[in-house]
Amino acid sequence: MPEYTGARRAANRAAGPLSPLIQFLRQPDVVRDWAPGDWNRFLPLARDAGLLGRSLYLLQAHGLLAVAPPRLVDHLHGAVNQTRYVQGQARRELRHVARLMQREHIPLIALKGVAYLAAELPPSDWRSLCDIDLLVPKANIGRAEEVLRDGGWGPSGEFDAYDQSYYRDWMHEIPPLVHHSRQVEVDLHHNLAPPVSRIRIDAEYLWEHSVAVDDASELGVRTLAPADMLLHNAVHLFMNDELRGGLRDLVDFRDLFEHFCAADTDFPYLLHERAAHLGCTRALFYAACSARRLLGLRAPDTFFTALNADAPLAPVRRSMAWLIDQVLAPSRLGLRRTALAQWALFVRSHWVRMPPLMLFRHLARKAFRSNKSVVPVTDLPG
Amino acid sequence: MAEQRLILDTGPFRVGVRSSDAALSETLNYFYRDSLCQDGPHFLDFDIRLTGARGVRRWLRPQVYFEVDGRRPFEPQPAENAFPSYEWGLNWCIATSAHRYLMLHAGSVAFGDSAMLLPGVPGSGKSTLSAALSLRGARLLSDEFGLLQPENLTLRAMPRGIPLKNTSIEAILEFHEAAQLGPTYPKTRKGRVRHLRPDADSLARQQTPAKPRWLVFPTYRASGEQMLQPLDQTEAFRQLAFNCFNYKLMGEVAFRAVAQLVREMDCYRFTYSRLDDAVECLSTLARVEPPTERPGR
Repeated sequence: MPEYTGARRAANRAAGPLSPLIQFLRQPDVVRDWAPGDWNRFLPLARDAGLLGRSLYLLQAHGLLAVAPPRLVDHLHGAVNQTRYVQGQARRELRHVARLMQREHIPLIALKGVAYLAAELPPSDWRSLCDIDLLVPKANIGRAEEVLRDGGWGPSGEFDAYDQSYYRDWMHEIPPLVHHSRQVEVDLHHNLAPPVSRIRIDAEYLWEHSVAVDDASELGVRTLAPADMLLHNAVHLFMNDELRGGLRDLVDFRDLFEHFCAADTDFPYLLHERAAHLGCTRALFYAACSARRLLGLRAPDTFFTALNADAPLAPVRRSMAWLIDQVLAPSRLGLRRTALAQWALFVRSHWVRMPPLMLFRHLARKAFRSNKSVVPVTDLPG
Repeated sequence: MAEQRLILDTGPFRVGVRSSDAALSETLNYFYRDSLCQDGPHFLDFDIRLTGARGVRRWLRPQVYFEVDGRRPFEPQPAENAFPSYEWGLNWCIATSAHRYLMLHAGSVAFGDSAMLLPGVPGSGKSTLSAALSLRGARLLSDEFGLLQPENLTLRAMPRGIPLKNTSIEAILEFHEAAQLGPTYPKTRKGRVRHLRPDADSLARQQTPAKPRWLVFPTYRASGEQMLQPLDQTEAFRQLAFNCFNYKLMGEVAFRAVAQLVREMDCYRFTYSRLDDAVECLSTLARVEPPTERPGR
């Protein structure tokens, strides 16, 4: 067992055993004291969070590769190989969609992972993705879907009439599409938050500030402005879903925040201003505070002071912080309190985005569905 | 029985297996007693646990879950198939994560430090051939996974129990009466399965890599003449790439590695029906062609 410093022991008393993944992401040098047992706790957490690639780059940047067990480093390299492949598929899918949209004169913004790839932002070194998220103007979304369907894309799963109306009437996206000869899911959005939710984001404003991607093939792909990109991350993580993107999205937030700050020291204030304009200061508050608490986000104190003006009441703040930590920073996988916190946040995220009666109907319907996701045994080698 | 943990080295991986199933522990001991590690602080590549299903199930039709990283990726299997479930589950863990290696779907054995690769789709007889060759003194590298290190084109050994399916069981017993086989699993998704125990020498040398030398694509036929025919490089490339789990995923690295492999190896197509003759033929191939530097490497 490694020797615990006084500060770490105090932290352990306060919040239970700290996640080794969190310790490493905050302060990579901790691994110098790690015993094999710590690496064993680290590996499943990092794999589950999709942060194996990030860990490889972090170890490299801090000259710690020789400290890690060689077989662990093999896992990190394996994950990066896999990520490179998935990134290639995502880039290709973006090109296919962009070409069609360009032909129809439909403007296109790449969102989240595929935007980081297109704009070659820091997460693109290591970040994997499971679908590509795209934004088109609401007026064009019907035509965009038609064009994609004619081009060989179809529903990515079986969506019954309820699912169809859930997406089309209540959500800010259409049911996910996938091309019949490829595997990358395409999520076509017309806004960053559901139209029925309490956050109303002015999409016009996003389009006005969007940025063209430097791209040799000139497919006309755009990304959100840096500040809007971070706000989308925050809204997605803390309002849209029950922290589904998990710790990886929070790492994106921290890395992008620090990247944009390095280019422009006024970035934090611009970010706050934009959040106020778009009406999502609460999401920004949660994202920035969680990133500071869990990942040691470096930002000026005045930025946090400004955020505090929009903070919820202290008891809410404290219980949210607890719930967020249980989901994003569990000390190991499969803890019951993680599931409990996830459920609480799931209910909350729906509460935020749906009026009460709609929420009741939706949850009642969901309760009767089982979600099985197991690997068919016939797919195994041997 | 209380839960026990075994730690075993399987080629480049160190695996922890926790279970409270005494029969499973006994079987694992039978197959891998020569590669068990002392309990203690180890970095584990895969931390696996096999647990019984709870509730009424436990008494009516006991089942076992395969757990890794605290998750259960598969549906539960009948409890009596705990050992095959462990083996398949570990294969899944490796196939889905070990992309540090180019993973060839191939049996492989070594003569000295030169390896013979036997790639093939299920049913081509690669397990049976690997088993038979190892019973005649070749070193077993793997019956299923050719773990190739793309940076130096060497194969890592990963000797495991070889799952013999259906009539292969009798074929191996007929070939070598004293073959050490584990318990019979009459009902698995692949039919009747019995595993051949890897020999102590192969396990003792599992950390020694081997250099690929012969590439043989086997096809089993119930009857007919045995044929070993040279295979041209283009066709060998196509077939080897096809028999690679992560060929697409590894992209250019895979392309270059497979191209270099077929250039360096002697490539054959092999049709066989009698195991004795097949083993004789392949052993002769390895004997009469001692590994030498050839022009054009």
